[in-house]
Order: sequence, then structure tokens, then C-alpha cells
Amino acid sequence: MTDSIKSGSTRRTILKTGVASAAMLASPAILRVATAATLIKIGIPTVITGGYAVLGSQVMRTCKLVQKMTGSKGVLGQPIEFLYKDTQGNPADCVRKTQELVERDNCHLITGVVVSSEARAIMPKLAEWKAFFISHGCGDGALTTKEFFVPNFFRANTSAPMGARALALYLKDSPEKNFIALGSDYAWGRSSVAAFEDQIKAIGKNLTDKIYTPVGNKDFSTYITKIMQSGVKDCYIALQGDEARGFFSQAVQYELPKRVQLLTEIVAQDNIRSLGKDAIGLAGSARYVFTYDIPQNKVFTEAFLAEYKEIPDWTDGEMYQALMILFAAMEKAGSPETDKVVKAMEDLEVTSVKGPVLMRKCDHQGENQGFVVKVAASSKYPEPVAEIVKIYSREQITPDCLSTGYKGR
Amino acid sequence: MNFAGFIVAQTLNAFSQAAILFFIACGLTLIFGIMRIINFAHGGLFMVGAYVGYSTVAYTGSFWLSLLIAPITVAAIGGIFEKVFLSKLYVRQDAGAYLMLTFGLAIILAQAVHLIWGPQPRSVAIPDLLRGVVVILNQPFPIYRLFLIAIGAAAAIALWQFLERTRAGLLIRAVSQNAEMVHALGTDVALVRTGIFMLGCAIAALGGVLSAPLVTAFLGMGSTVIIDAFVIVIIGGMGSFLGSIVGSLLVAFVQVFGAYYFQDMALAIIYLLMLLVLIVRPGGLLGKEQ
Amino acid sequence: MRERLVIALSAVLLCLVPLVVPNYTLTLIVEALIFGLFAMSLDLMVGYTRLHSFGHAAAYGMGAYSTALILLHFNLPLPIGIILGVAISVVIAIPIAWICTKSTGVSFAMLTLAFAQLGYAMIFRFKDISGGSDGIGGIPRPAGPFGIDFFQSKSGYFYLVVFCLVGSYLLCRAIVTSPFGAVLTGIRENEAKTRALGYNTRAYKMAVVVMAYGFGSLAGALYTPFAGFVAPELFFWLVSGRVLIMVIVGGAGTLIGPILGGICFMLLEQQLSEVTELWPLIFGSIFIAFVMLAPDGIWGLLTKRFRSKQVVPGDGEDGETSRATP
Repeated sequence: MTDSIKSGSTRRTILKTGVASAAMLASPAILRVATAATLIKIGIPTVITGGYAVLGSQVMRTCKLVQKMTGSKGVLGQPIEFLYKDTQGNPADCVRKTQELVERDNCHLITGVVVSSEARAIMPKLAEWKAFFISHGCGDGALTTKEFFVPNFFRANTSAPMGARALALYLKDSPEKNFIALGSDYAWGRSSVAAFEDQIKAIGKNLTDKIYTPVGNKDFSTYITKIMQSGVKDCYIALQGDEARGFFSQAVQYELPKRVQLLTEIVAQDNIRSLGKDAIGLAGSARYVFTYDIPQNKVFTEAFLAEYKEIPDWTDGEMYQALMILFAAMEKAGSPETDKVVKAMEDLEVTSVKGPVLMRKCDHQGENQGFVVKVAASSKYPEPVAEIVKIYSREQITPDCLSTGYKGR
Repeated sequence: MNFAGFIVAQTLNAFSQAAILFFIACGLTLIFGIMRIINFAHGGLFMVGAYVGYSTVAYTGSFWLSLLIAPITVAAIGGIFEKVFLSKLYVRQDAGAYLMLTFGLAIILAQAVHLIWGPQPRSVAIPDLLRGVVVILNQPFPIYRLFLIAIGAAAAIALWQFLERTRAGLLIRAVSQNAEMVHALGTDVALVRTGIFMLGCAIAALGGVLSAPLVTAFLGMGSTVIIDAFVIVIIGGMGSFLGSIVGSLLVAFVQVFGAYYFQDMALAIIYLLMLLVLIVRPGGLLGKEQ
Repeated sequence: MRERLVIALSAVLLCLVPLVVPNYTLTLIVEALIFGLFAMSLDLMVGYTRLHSFGHAAAYGMGAYSTALILLHFNLPLPIGIILGVAISVVIAIPIAWICTKSTGVSFAMLTLAFAQLGYAMIFRFKDISGGSDGIGGIPRPAGPFGIDFFQSKSGYFYLVVFCLVGSYLLCRAIVTSPFGAVLTGIRENEAKTRALGYNTRAYKMAVVVMAYGFGSLAGALYTPFAGFVAPELFFWLVSGRVLIMVIVGGAGTLIGPILGGICFMLLEQQLSEVTELWPLIFGSIFIAFVMLAPDGIWGLLTKRFRSKQVVPGDGEDGETSRATP
């Protein structure tokens, strides 16, 4: 429009621009009148109480921060409102609470779901509810395969196969041949261990044993003894929330980190805290690394540190990224309506706290870069922190379409 | 693989788990023996014990003091509950009423803990004296777990001696056999009931405090532990003190070795065991036939 | 006569519900009615035969899972799926009833608990079929038979649930007022005496346990296609505890009381959890208040009031109310 004013000199063009700019000035006013009372509601059915409450509390604190950062300007000129519901990490409750959000609170944008089995439970219902769901942390690889794919679901985060892939690429050069794996016995834990097994075999190494611990397991003594007895020097861990806290703090009691190199699919600051000094040397892939040095991440981490005086954990970073992608899609669609957001998000590329992410159309998986980190003592922070040792490109990390495999790569 | 080391380590793991289970099961079985009440709130009281223990450590810095304060606090809660509510129902002899009352208390306790301590789990550090490992057959084993085994065994022996050797213990056994007779002989049965209820609560609280450094104090620790405790009490024999010891060991061993050898079956084995015992001996291994 | 009128009237009123309430409220009401049916099924055991089951979740879970698997793997009309789900559960319930009725009292309660927990364990054991802790999602609500798609809509499903609830109630009432029901009441009051009169009480108890499991599994079967999801928690002992409390709060041995208990429990829980975070505290207090002050439950309270008003024009005519206070 400004270009046309500069170049155009005929009366007609000026008139045209005049009318157009008048309309431009007027239209937001009309919009504002029409939508003054409307908020963009985003439903957060997350874990407020229960074994994964740590992750739920991170989801909520980041949402609150984002709400503060967007302020009254919000998205599309409309302020954002987050509605929080407690699912207790239980798929049945997640269905009920999400239904409540959709049917009673008239809220059709869903994110913040913590547990992969919860995502599996609500995904088949999305079409009936006309709801849109973007995952910030559900890692189960199957969610974007043929078996579970639904059009109204997107995954912004790094999935379990992607995490395992980055780690396997890194371990290629390690002298160690044998590995043992321990995962929580539900969708994500199994997906993570299975992906690790595939990847590790592909680079010519062995997985000598797989241990699945029941969901909500508290006493890991049996499993710790089993790991030590196996004689394997590298152990891959896929646990989250209280289970991870329990495992790591008990592992320290048995002095496991002194005998076995621990690797994890997600290096979380919360786990580092449970391990204390023993965390130093813990390696693995990371969904988000708060020390990643790009301007977008700097904006986030500075705001986060100022608000909470604490290092953002991986959930904080992934939640922030998922919201940024959602907002970008809404801006592109010019509407928060489900169908339009779905269309706008397909093949959308957004650069956020983890670098550029492409929300590919074919299976709605976000193509993320892969980070491999190692925990080291820090002079800047009171606790050890994860440091990036290697970044893999998103082409290397993201699996084939509608699959969890990497054929021929 | 070092087979002997493995067996020893897993056996010790099982004993340490059995110790925690015993603390909750023995109170449950004593209360059942005397009052014919299945106390659903027992898991909740165990949890309150863990949280009170956490706060005691947080304020005083002394783990040892928490071993004293938590049982006293929880015994007081239990005593008030028994006096104000449960004791009013003894005349009614209605199993459903006890169920609702203790279920109601369990819900209230869980919510009270949520309100006071919040939803986040609370971790309790192992006291300095008990930190570190002992290497047994080239297997590191935490000193704290050895301490648990010792304190569990000590508590079991002390309680057993108390029940067998003291006058109070004799009274308790007599009330569980025939309350009316004891009452007729001029003993205050109500006092015995309140006393045993408080004792059961105190032991459960002690278990809660001791388990916190292993598994943290968390909401829901009550409902996970109570079902194991039920199984123990049923297998061992409802109302049988020795039964609760045997049951705790059996369940802990099945859990530990089951989780090792048959990952998928461990849960089922315990319930199958419980079914088998109920079918063959409805009163439990060491219980009286009903 | 008057009682029939009341039932007919409340059934008609129920049928008007989908026309007036908002979408989400209807969801809640359907769930509440299903729980009402579930609680009523347990009342056959608890209220009429004094068999305190502490594992009634087994009935609910079996009905839910078998219906889920049938609807997921076979392309069958919805009502057929539900009927088959119930039929499978009844078949499984027969050996359970045979074993459980060997015992009485606390031992019986614990046996039923053991079976429910065993069901829970089996869900984890056979996770290839059952989904383990992930549960099973995406359970369809197929149309049919004869291309009828009425039940696919939420209000249509509501009518299906009302139909099942009213039908089950009438059936259960016929059972408890029949000579068979009289024997059950005899067992409740004095089993030894009933046995001495020549009745095979074990067979009667087995029959009533199987029936209770049957109606309970119907509730589970109705829940499945409505929620579209099943999880192992359906078998968990907390469900058994809740339903037993619904029966007692409602008023055991009245059928209608437990239905009310189940409905009130579910609606109250939903409403309270919206209004205040303290709802469990209020909830627990309500239980305790009921035990201490109103041992005959909601229905006991209602009928007591009703009867004290009606006390002059002749008592004892109404069979149902005199049963209300056993």
C-alpha cells in the first residue's frame, strides 16, 4: 500500500488508496467492536495432581508467562485466555476434562497434554468435538503414524524416535558395544525404548535387555540391582516426572551412576536436581536446551528467569515453542477456527526457541533439530546444567512420513 | 553374572520392602482383630505420617525427631476419630457403616494433605549417619535400607513381645477373642479399642516417615500402599499379628523376584496368591477359620 | 398404584431432558444414569442378600472391555455389541460367583476384591489386546440394526440409557418381589434358617451374584461406546469402593435408593469440583454425616418424611416403602 502511494501519481490511484486506507482504519475498529468480548480460549488439560504433576506445573507456568508476554495485544488482536483442567495423568480423566473444555467452555484449541496415552485417548474424539490439538510434549512415535493419525492433531515437539535417533547417531563413535534399557510401561516409554533398540541395532550395537516398569512405580531397587547385575556399562532410561525423580534419587543411593553411564531420552533439569552432583556426566538427547544460543531463545529464557528465578526445563521450552507455532498459524489463518488453523499450520515454518521447525503436511509432525547434551558443573548456575555436545539437522532426525523408521538413512 | 551377589542383593531389597509393608499391615490387622473394622483410612494415615515427618525434618532438621513426632500426631488424629465417630457405631454392628466412615476419612485426609502441603511430592533426605553403601559380594547396598530392615525386625519383635508378654497385650488378645466376656470381667473395653486404634495409626505413621526417603512423600501414597496391605492381611490371616509378618515377607518377595523373572505377571501373581489362600483357607494362612 | 404412576411420570420427565439441557449437562446426566444402573446392580447383592461385594468394579470393567473389543474388532450394530459384551461378562461371572459364594462376610468381600484386582492385573498382562495402561481409545458407536442411526447422537444415546435403566429396574424389582426374591431376603435375615427350610442357599446366592454382575456389566457396556474409551482404572478397587458407598448412601435394599445414590454422587462430584477445590473435603464429610445421622440413606430420608405425612390413612399397604427400612 505504501509502495503505491510513492509510485502512483494519478488521481485514480490516490483515490483508490484513500478508500482502501479508510477501510483499513475502520476495519480493525469494527473487528474490535465485534470481538471486544471474545477471548481466544486455549484449553490446557494437564496434570495438576498425580505422578506427572511436575510436568503439568511446568506447562502451566509457561502458559502464564506467555499470557503475560502477549498481554492485552494477544493474538489477532484478541487477548489469550488459558483454561486449566486437572487430568491426573489419567487417559479417562483427560477425555472427560477435554470434553468439558470443548462442550461446556466452548474452547476448541487444546494443548498442554502431558502423557502420550492421554493424547491417544482424546485424538479419536477431535473430529466429533471439532477441536484442534497441538502436542508440546507427547513423545509416543505412533501418534503421527497411520495407526493414530487424525487431521486435527499436530506435534510441535521432538518425539521419542527422534530423541533416540539423535542419541544413536551420537553413540555411533562410542567404544561401548552393549546397552540396557529401562522405560515406563506406557505408550511413550515403550515407544522410546523400541526406537532406541531399532536405532542402536542399525549402528551395529546390542541392546542386551529391556526393562519396563509399571506406571506409577515407586521403588526401583529391584531394577537398579538388575541393571548392575547385567554387567552392561551403559543404561538408557525413559522415565519422566515422579518416576524419573524416584529412579534417579534411588540410583544415587545405590551409587549406580558411579558404575554405569546413564543415558536418557530426555535430559530434564528436574532429573539433574534429583541426581545432585551425581548428575555430572549424564548424557542423552534433549528436547530443549536452555543454553541454546539464538535470539528467539534469549527472549524466552530472559523473560523466564526474570519471572521465575529458575532455569526453564524442557517442558517449558517445548510448551513455549508449541504456543508460538499455534499463534503463527492463527495469524496466518486470520482466525482461531479449527479448520482454518489446521490448514494454516500445514507446511508452516516457525523459528522459535529450538531453531527453525517445519510442521510438515504429510503426518503433522514438526521437523525439529536433534540436540545431544552432557551434564556438566556450571559456574553460572547453582546446579549442574546440560551442555550441547552435538546438534543434528532436522532432516537427519525426523523419521519417514507416517512412520517411526528411517529407511535407508 | 555374580549369582550369589544377585540373590543376596534382591533378598535384601525384598526385606527392605517388607519392612515398610509390615508397618502398615500390622496396624491394619490389629485393628481388624479387635474391632472387626477394615480401616480404609489406614493408607491415608500412613501418608499423613510421611508428610508430618517431612515437615518435622524441614523445621528441626532432625530425622530422628520426626520418627517420634509423626507417630504421635497421627495417633492423636486416629484417637480423636475413633472416639468421636467410630465408637458410636460399635452397637450398630454394620460393616457398611464402618466402610463409609473410614472411606470418608481417607478422602478427607487426602484432601487435607493436598491443602496443607500442596500437590508436589516432598523428598526427605537420608540422615547423614545412614548415607552411603555397604558392598556385599561386590554389590553396593544402601545403608539406609539395611537400617529399614533392622528397624522393621526390631518393631516386629517388640510388638510381638508386647502382645505375648505384657498384661496389656493379654487384654488385647482377650478382647479380640471375646469382647463381651472381657467387659463382663470389669475391663474398660472402650479404652482397649481406642488404644489399639491409636497404636495401629502410630505404627502406620512410622512406616510413612521411614518410606519417605525412598519414595518421597506424595499424594496417593495412601491408596497405592493400602491395597498391598489388604492383600497381606488377607494372606496372613485377618487379625493375626504373625500373619501380617508372614504376609509382608511373602508379598515383598513376590514383588521383587516376580518383577525380575516375570515382568508382566508380578501383579497377577499377588492376587492369584490371595485368591488361592482365600479358597483354601478363608481365614488366611495364620488366621482363624470363620 | 401410585408408585407406578410416579415411575411412569419420572420416566416421561426423563425423556424430556435432552430437549431442555445444554450439551455438556446431557453428557453428565448420561454418565450419572449409567452409574445409577451400576449402583442398583450391586444392591441386589448388598441390600437383598447381604453379600457385601468389594469388587463390583469387576462387573463394570468386564462389561466395558468386552464391549470395547467387540465394537472395535467386529462390525456389529451397537445394541448387538452391548448385548454380546454383557453375555460374555455373565459367562465369566459364573465361575467367579461359584468361588465367591463358598465364603461369606469379610471373606466374601475380599474374594470379590481379589477377582476385580486380578482383572486389573490381567489388563496389564495382556496389553497387546487390552492396551495396558494406555487403555483403548477410538471405540466407535456404530449404527444399526437395520440402519438405525438414532443411538449415534448424544440425545439418542441418552434414550438408550434411560431405556436400559428403567428396563433393568423393572426387571430387578420383579426379581426381588418374586418367590426367588423372598428366599434372598430369607438368606439376608438368617441363612442357616433358610437352609434348614430346604433351600439350596448357595445356588440362590450364586444366581444373585451372576445377576448382579450381569446388570453391572450392562452399565459398563453402556459406558464404553459413550466415552469412546476404556482404561484399566475401571477395574480398580476405588471404583468398587465408590459404588458400594453409592448403594449405602442411597439406601441399600430399595433398588431406587442406590439409583438415586449413584446419580446424586456423580452429579454432586461434578458440580462441587467446579465450584470449589475443597470438594473432596465436603464429599468425605457428607459420607460421615450420612453414616452418623441417616443410616438408611437418601431413600430412607425421603420415605421417612413421606410416611410421617401419610401415617394416618393406614400403614403397610405399600410394600416398597416398608422394605425401605430393613
